[in-house]
Amino acid sequence: MPTRPTRTKPQAEEQRPSEQRPPEQHRSEDDPRIMLDREITADLYAPIPPYPTQTEREAEFYTRGDGEMFINIGPHHPATHGVLRLVLKLSGEQIVDVDPVLGYLHRGVEKICENSDYYHVIDQVDPLEYVSSLFQEWAAVLSFEQLMDVEVPRRAEYIRVLSGELLRVASHTLYMGFLALDLGGLTPILYSFIERDEIMEMLAALTGARMLFNYFRIGGVNGDLNHEFMSRLGDWMSRAAKQTEANAGLLNENEIFVRRTRGVGVMDRQMALRFGVTGGNLRAAGVPFDIRRAHPYSVYPELDFNIPTRDEGDSLARYLIRLDEVRESIKIIDQCLHNMPDGPVMARLPRLLRPRPGRAWGACEGPRGMLGVYTISDGSDQPFRFRIHDPSFMNLETVPSLLPGNLLADTMAIVASLDPVLGGIDK
Amino acid sequence: MDRTLKRRLEARVGSQLRGPIRQRKDQTEIRIQAGDVPDVLRTVHDAVDLRFEILADLAGVDTGEHMQVVYHLWSETSPDWLRIIVDGLSREDPRCPSATFLWTGAEWLEREAYDMFGIVFEGNRDLRRIFMPPDYTSFPLRKDFLLPDDAARSPGEGVRHVERPYAPAIVADDPAAGIRRAPAS
Repeated sequence: MPTRPTRTKPQAEEQRPSEQRPPEQHRSEDDPRIMLDREITADLYAPIPPYPTQTEREAEFYTRGDGEMFINIGPHHPATHGVLRLVLKLSGEQIVDVDPVLGYLHRGVEKICENSDYYHVIDQVDPLEYVSSLFQEWAAVLSFEQLMDVEVPRRAEYIRVLSGELLRVASHTLYMGFLALDLGGLTPILYSFIERDEIMEMLAALTGARMLFNYFRIGGVNGDLNHEFMSRLGDWMSRAAKQTEANAGLLNENEIFVRRTRGVGVMDRQMALRFGVTGGNLRAAGVPFDIRRAHPYSVYPELDFNIPTRDEGDSLARYLIRLDEVRESIKIIDQCLHNMPDGPVMARLPRLLRPRPGRAWGACEGPRGMLGVYTISDGSDQPFRFRIHDPSFMNLETVPSLLPGNLLADTMAIVASLDPVLGGIDK
Repeated sequence: MDRTLKRRLEARVGSQLRGPIRQRKDQTEIRIQAGDVPDVLRTVHDAVDLRFEILADLAGVDTGEHMQVVYHLWSETSPDWLRIIVDGLSREDPRCPSATFLWTGAEWLEREAYDMFGIVFEGNRDLRRIFMPPDYTSFPLRKDFLLPDDAARSPGEGVRHVERPYAPAIVADDPAAGIRRAPAS
C-alpha cells in the first residue's frame, strides 16, 4: 500500500538567524504571522488528507491522475442538507470520484441510549431524524415492545399511524421543495413550507412540541387526540389533495426541473439491492419493498393503500415516487379518521421497566426508508446494546457510485434526490 | 414465527450452525462462527428457497466477554426477519470476514462497526474510521469505554474521563471500571 509522506515542518524557520527577526511576544506555531514569512511550499497545499492514507480505497482516491484536481464541498454548505463533506475528484468539470466524509454531527446517541433507561431512550433518539422524528421513536418503541411483549391498544395504534402519515407528508413536501431549491428554483420551497408548517402546528397541538415530539411511549402514545388537533386536521384535509396537485404542478410541468433530473444518477435494481438502499429510492428502482407491506406492523394490514414503484431509478423517478406516496398517505389519513376506534391510548406498564434478557429487532418504514432498532436486554433497566439503523446512511453510501461521470453541477441534483438527513447518518 | 424457515435453514446450513435455531415473535436467529460467514451468507442469499436479498442491518456487539457481529436479513420467501449472530470473536483481536462480496452497502456498516468496536473485517477495501476523527484511538461502544459520570447514569460513576485508549489490562486493574457483561443466553 503506497503511503503519503507525512507533513514535515518547513525548515525556513531554523535556517534564518534569530537576530534578523523582530522580537515577538507570542511565538507559537499557530501564530499566523509566522506563516507569512515562511516559504510557501507545495507541502502546505496538500492537506487532504492530513494523515498517511490507511486503506486501499483511500490511497486510490487520493492519488491524483493527470489533469485531475480535488474540490471540497462542505461541511458547511447550504446544499448538503446538514453537515456533510464531499471531497470530489474532478477532471475538468466531470466528476471522477467522490469520498464522502461523515461524522461532523456524531453525538454518540447509541452510547447515550445504552446509559439511559428505556423511557429516556425515546427522548434521546428524537433528534436523529429531525425532519421526521416520530418514525425514529416508532422504531425504538417497536423494538422495546417486542422485547417486553406489550400489547398496544388499538386506538393508540391508529393515532400512531395517523400522526406518522401526517409527518410523512410533511417530510416529503419538504423534500420536494429542497430538491427544487438545490436546482435553483426558489418558489416551490415557499409552498412546501406552508404545507409543512400547517402539519407541524397540528402535531404541536397534539404532542406539545413542534419538531422533537417525544410523543410515542412504550405501550401507546403520550396523549389522546384533542380538539385543536382535530379541527386543524379537518381544515387541512379539506384542501390537502388539491393543494398537493397544485404544488406538484410547479415542478412536474417545469421543463428546467425535468430536464435536469431525468436520466441523472440512475440506480438500477441490482445496484439498489447490493447497496442495501431502502425506501423511496429502492422503489424508484423497481423493487416494491415497503416495510408497511413487506413486514407489516401496527394496523397497516387493515388499511387500504398502494406501494407505488417506478423502473427508471433516476432523480426524477425518486421525486415522483415521493409525490405518489404523499397521495397514498392522504388516503391513509382519511381511513384512520373514519376507522378510529375508542378506548385507552396507553397499555398498563410498571413505572420501572426491567425486561427479561433477550434480543429484539423492530423496523418501521420512515419517509427515507427502513428505520430499524436492535435491542439487547440484560435484565436491567437500561438497554445493554441499542443499535440504530438509519436509511439515510445507506442511501448516502451510493453517492460514490452515482456521481462519477456526471458534471459538477449535477452533484446536488443527485445528492438531494436521495434525501439524506445528516442527523440520522451521523448518529 | 415461521416454522418452515427453521426446517429450510437446517437443511441448507445445518452443519455450520453453532447452537439451536431460536425463534421468537417475528424473528429467527442462528449462530455461526466467523470462519463460516462467507459460506452461510452466500447460501442464504442465493438458495432458491431462502433468497435473503435485503441486508437490513449489520451491527457490532460487545458482550463484555467477546465480540459479535449481527446481521439482519429480509426475504420475500419468509415473513420472519433472519438474524445471523457471528459469535465468539475475541475482544483483543476481533476479526470477521467482510460481507462486501455480496452487499456493497455493507462497506460503510463495517466501517461503522470498526469505528465503534474495533472489529476488523477482512476483505473490506476501505476499513477506516467513519464517524470519529482518523487520529482517534478509542473504540467508543466497547463496554470498557465509560461515560463520565455527569453525562448519564452509567457504570462509570465517579470516573472523570471521556476516553481512554483501548487497553483491557489497565481497565481490569481499575476497580471503578467494572465491565458490564451480558448474561450468557
